[in-house]
Amino acid sequence: MISPRLFKYNALKQLKFAPVTKCFYSTTGSSQEEISHFKDLSTDWWNTNGSQRILHKMNLARLDFMRTNLNKLMTIEDQQDKDIFIPGYNYKEFLPSGISSIIEKDLDKEIQRMLNEKQFNVLDIGCGGGILAESLARLPFINHVTGIDLTPECIDVAQKHAAKDPTLDNKINYKLCDLATVEDKFDIVTCYEMLEHVDNPHEILRQAWKRLNPQGILFLSTINRDFVSWFTTIFVAEYITKLVPQGTHTYDKFVKSSEIVDWFQQRQPRKHKILDLKGTMYVPSKGWVNHDCPSVGNYFMAVQKLKE
Amino acid sequence: MLARSFVRKLATASTTKSAAKLTDILIVGGGPAGLTLATGIQESPLLSKFKVTLVDGNDIVDKVGSFYHNPPDHFTNRVVSVTPQSMKFLTEKLGVPLMQDRIQPYDGLYVNDGITDVHLEVEKEEMLHMIEILNIQSSLLHKLSSTSMNHDNKVDIIDNCKVDSITSSVKGDPTSWPLVKLANGETYKTRLLVGADGFNSPVRKFSGLYSRGWQYNTWGLVATLKLDPQSLPIYKLRGWQRFLPTGPLAHLPLPGDNASLVWSTGGNEMSSLLMEMEPKLFVKMINAGYILTPTDLQYYLDAFKEGSMTTEDLIEDIDVRINQVYNELKDETLIDEKFPPLVVDVVPGTRARFPLKFSHADSYVTDRVALVGDAAHTTHPLAGQGLNMGQHDVEQLLNALEKATLRGQDIGAMLSLEPFWANSYGFNNVRLGMADKLHKLYHTDFAPVVALRSLGLGLTNNLSPVKNLIADIMTGK
Repeated sequence: MISPRLFKYNALKQLKFAPVTKCFYSTTGSSQEEISHFKDLSTDWWNTNGSQRILHKMNLARLDFMRTNLNKLMTIEDQQDKDIFIPGYNYKEFLPSGISSIIEKDLDKEIQRMLNEKQFNVLDIGCGGGILAESLARLPFINHVTGIDLTPECIDVAQKHAAKDPTLDNKINYKLCDLATVEDKFDIVTCYEMLEHVDNPHEILRQAWKRLNPQGILFLSTINRDFVSWFTTIFVAEYITKLVPQGTHTYDKFVKSSEIVDWFQQRQPRKHKILDLKGTMYVPSKGWVNHDCPSVGNYFMAVQKLKE
Repeated sequence: MLARSFVRKLATASTTKSAAKLTDILIVGGGPAGLTLATGIQESPLLSKFKVTLVDGNDIVDKVGSFYHNPPDHFTNRVVSVTPQSMKFLTEKLGVPLMQDRIQPYDGLYVNDGITDVHLEVEKEEMLHMIEILNIQSSLLHKLSSTSMNHDNKVDIIDNCKVDSITSSVKGDPTSWPLVKLANGETYKTRLLVGADGFNSPVRKFSGLYSRGWQYNTWGLVATLKLDPQSLPIYKLRGWQRFLPTGPLAHLPLPGDNASLVWSTGGNEMSSLLMEMEPKLFVKMINAGYILTPTDLQYYLDAFKEGSMTTEDLIEDIDVRINQVYNELKDETLIDEKFPPLVVDVVPGTRARFPLKFSHADSYVTDRVALVGDAAHTTHPLAGQGLNMGQHDVEQLLNALEKATLRGQDIGAMLSLEPFWANSYGFNNVRLGMADKLHKLYHTDFAPVVALRSLGLGLTNNLSPVKNLIADIMTGK
C-alpha cells in the first residue's frame, strides 16, 4: 500500500518558487530522459496495432470531447429569416421519432455550418508523431494546426506521415521548438497527454494560456496522481499487459485535476471558465469511455479564456 | 538521336505513371452493394465531400439504368427477399425511389419437410418484400443521377471497364494508397478501396484477406413462374418452401399471377435435366415437387432421363397423381392451406442455374481496403439473406466512415474501418451459419435425422417464442 503522505506534493507551491530555466530545450522542463524516450517510440508511432494503439484509441475520445464542447458553444438564435425550428426542452420525448430525428438533423446541420465559419487556428503542444494534429487538420472547421514538440525524431515522423495525405497540404506546420519561443496567438491550444511528461506543468499552463486568443479554448488531458492511476497506467498497462511501453509514465509527474482547477482559480480568477471536466477510462472492448469522476485516473478538461 | 528518343520514352513513361487520378473512395463493382454504398456516401452530409469513383465491368449506366424507365412486361429472374430492416435503410435513410409496382410484400412462410410433411408456419404481416435485383440497381442509379444535379461532387461511374491490376503505390507499404489500373488505360490512386466485386473479388485477392468456405455440390435453379389465377390466395400471401432431400424448393410471390422460383437441386445432373425439359413439363415437375412425395419426383426425373415415358405421358401421369393426393384430403379447403398455388407456365428465357457455395472472409478490412456483400460472404439462398447481409454491411460501413470523418480520421486507415468489421461479422456469421446448418440438416434422408428434425420443426411450430425468434432473425431484427 502506498501512503498518500509520501506524495504530498503541491504544484502551487512549486509554481511560486519555480525558476524558469533557460537551457535550449526546456524552459518548460522536459527532461532529456523524456525526450529520448519518445525518440525510441517514434518509429512505431503510426502503427495502430503497435505500442501506440491505446494512444490512437484515446485520440478518438479526445476528438469527441473537443467536438462536444465546441458544439455546445454554438447557439442557434431564433431568427425570422432562417428556416430553423427550435424545439422546446426534451422534445424527443414528446414528438414522434421521425419528426424529432428530422429536427435533430436540421439542428446538427446548422451547428456544423456555424462551426465551419469559425475556421480555428490550433496550437498542439507536444504533438509527437502528429496523431492529434492530423485529425484536427482534417476537420472542416479547423483552418490550420501548428504542432510543436521537443523530440526531433517525432517531428520528423509527423512531417513524413502528413506528407502522405494530399488533403493535409498547407494545413499543418510542425516545428521543433519550445513553447516559450512560440509567438502567435491561437483559438485553440491543446495539451493532450503532455503535462505528465514535464517537470513544471504550471509553467506549461501559464505559457499555453498566454498563447490563447480571448474566447479561445485550452483543451488538456493528463493523469491524476492517485493509486488508481498508478495501478492502471503504470502497473497494469506498462508491466503486466505491456500495452504501453515501459517508462512512459512517471508517477511523481502526474497532476491532479484539482491542482489544475486551483491553479486557474488563483492565477486567472474571473478570466477563465471551465467548460468541461471529465474522467476517462480505457475499456478494452469499447475504447476510451468518459465518466463523471474526474478526480480518478485519466481526465479531459476544457477551459475557455474569457474576454478581459 | 537514339539517346534523345530514349529520353523521351522515359519522360512519357514517368508522366503516365504520375498521371494517376486521385480519388477518395474507389468502389469496384456496381451490384446492389456497390451502388448502395455510392448512394449512401452521396446522401450523407458528412461523406458527400469525398470523391467517389465506381468501376464495373458491365454496361450498368445504360443497360441497367434503362430498366427504371422502360421495364419489361414480365418479371426478371433475379429476385431477392428484402427484410424490413434493409427496406427501411434503402427507402427511408437513402431515399431510394424503388419501383413500387414491381414489389410484392408477403405475410408469411410455409415451410415443410418433404419426407414427413411436418410443417412450420411463420406469419407476420408484410414481413418481407420480393424485389427484382434490377429494380434495386436501376432505382439506385436513378437516385444517383437525380441527386447529383444539385451536388458539385457527383459519383463518377466508369462502366464497361474491368480492373486490370491493383498494387500498393509504395511497394511493401500496405498503408500507402492503392493504385488501381483499369482496362481503359486509366490509373486511379485511392484513399480507400472498396471491394463490392462479388465472390471472385479481385479486391479481396489484393488485400490478402483469407476467405474460407466450400461448394455445396448443389445448383440453384431460378425462373419466373406464372400461377393459376384461380388458385391465387385472396388474403395472406405466403412464400412456400419445401425441403426435399435434394435441396429446398421455394417459390415466393410477385405481383399479380407471378412468382419467383428458387430450386436448389442436388448435383449437376438433376439441374441440367430440369433445365433441358420442355416448359410445360418443367411446371408440372414444380407442382409435383410440392404435392407429391420425393420418391415420386425422383421416379419422374428418372423416367425423363431414360426416355421411358414421353413428355405427354409424364404430364398426364403427374396430373393423375396430384388429383389422387387432393382426393385423399379430408376437406377441399385444405388444398389452399397445404399447397401453394399451381404453376401453369414459366416466363420464356427466365430459367437459369448457378452453383451454390458458402464462403466467409476472416476479416472484411485491412489498411485501405474494405469488403462488402458477396466479396465478403456468400450463402445458400434458402434463408433469403444474401442481399440483406450486403445491405447491412453497407449500412455499417457508412456508419464507420461517418464516425471516422467526424473525428477527423483518415477513412482509409485501419482504425477507421475496424468498427465496420466488428459490427457486421457477427451479424453475418449467425445468418451464414443458420443457412449452412439448415442445408446440411435437410440434405439427407437418413431416418433418425429425419425423425429428429421433424420433431424439432413440429415443436418449433408449436412454440411461439421460438417461432418469433426465427421470424425476427429472418426479418433482420
